[in-house]
Amino acid sequence: MRVHALLDRLDINRESVIVIRGDTLVPGDVLLLDADVVEIRPVISGGCR
Amino acid sequence: MKCRVCKGAAVIDVRRHNANFCAEHFIAHCHEQVRRTIDHFSMMQPDDRVLVAVSGGKDSLALWDILLSLGYRADGLYLGLGIGDYSTESTHYSRDFADRVKGRLVEIDLLADEGFDIPTGARLARRAPCSACGLSKRHLFNRAALEGGYDVVCTGHNLDDEAAVLLGNVLRWNVEYLGRQHPVLDARPGFVRKVKPLVRLAEREMAAYCVLRGIDYQVEECPMAAGNRHIGYKEALDGIEAGSPGTKAAFFHEFLDKASHLFTPESDVVREGLLACASCGSPTTGEVCAFCRLVERATASSSNMSVPVQLGETRS
Repeated sequence: MRVHALLDRLDINRESVIVIRGDTLVPGDVLLLDADVVEIRPVISGGCR
Repeated sequence: MKCRVCKGAAVIDVRRHNANFCAEHFIAHCHEQVRRTIDHFSMMQPDDRVLVAVSGGKDSLALWDILLSLGYRADGLYLGLGIGDYSTESTHYSRDFADRVKGRLVEIDLLADEGFDIPTGARLARRAPCSACGLSKRHLFNRAALEGGYDVVCTGHNLDDEAAVLLGNVLRWNVEYLGRQHPVLDARPGFVRKVKPLVRLAEREMAAYCVLRGIDYQVEECPMAAGNRHIGYKEALDGIEAGSPGTKAAFFHEFLDKASHLFTPESDVVREGLLACASCGSPTTGEVCAFCRLVERATASSSNMSVPVQLGETRS
């Protein structure tokens, strides 16, 4: 399954996350393998600042 | 996906630019976007003393990193808010980054220096936590910059932050705030210049920048901000952006180009009537400035004891 398909399946807006495998980013067209472990990290922060 | 610059393997797509980048050229892209922003808005000069408001989050640490990479004399300023474990962690990330870049980190602790923390102070002053936090940051960043002889304060507000604020101001037609919403607030008596060099870069890009630069940052959302209106506006804009890349940037930057000036007179009326705060001397529209009123209320009660922070949903 590709990264974008995974995000779609999880109903996650691709604009609101980055996907990390190991110590680097995984772009949306990458084909994930069954053994891959990825972090889907949210990027939205809020509050005052 | 291929990098737009070198045709090597890309690690990120930036859909509003219809471009993909490898790590090296994405980092260069971010540096270039900030350089262009600083130049376009005449934000600062190469020899300015720069104070970066640092929270331990991705935007402020990335901003500090980029400004140092561009050659600016930039120190960090961290404000301890007293929000339980969240603040403990944010202190850790800020200090770690400062150590890594051998940068100077100025620290202010709200409880030790002003007598209250955000959870307790906001409750006693009957203000929303984000409101008390924002007010404290604006006042204390400005004061620290003036006392430290800095020329400019930089904050890590990114494109998503500014678009969300603009949406909120437009939905309520808050013309005074619309007149003030600009990447540069010029210095005036009692106010240091304040700039937002990240307004061409989206939140997702700043997170990606930190990962690619190996910058550890606080991912968890502030527990007191969970579910606030600002985040709701961001989510709404992300929904639009997903179907129409570039809308967010057009919304904010076209506002600056085509409409911002229409609201400036409304804002100027307020600015022209400023007096000196009877308590601290800062410019204010009333006898006592809003921050001193907050301090008075937040520290007045004998029951001013720290309250446990209620942890809401986080995004870990």
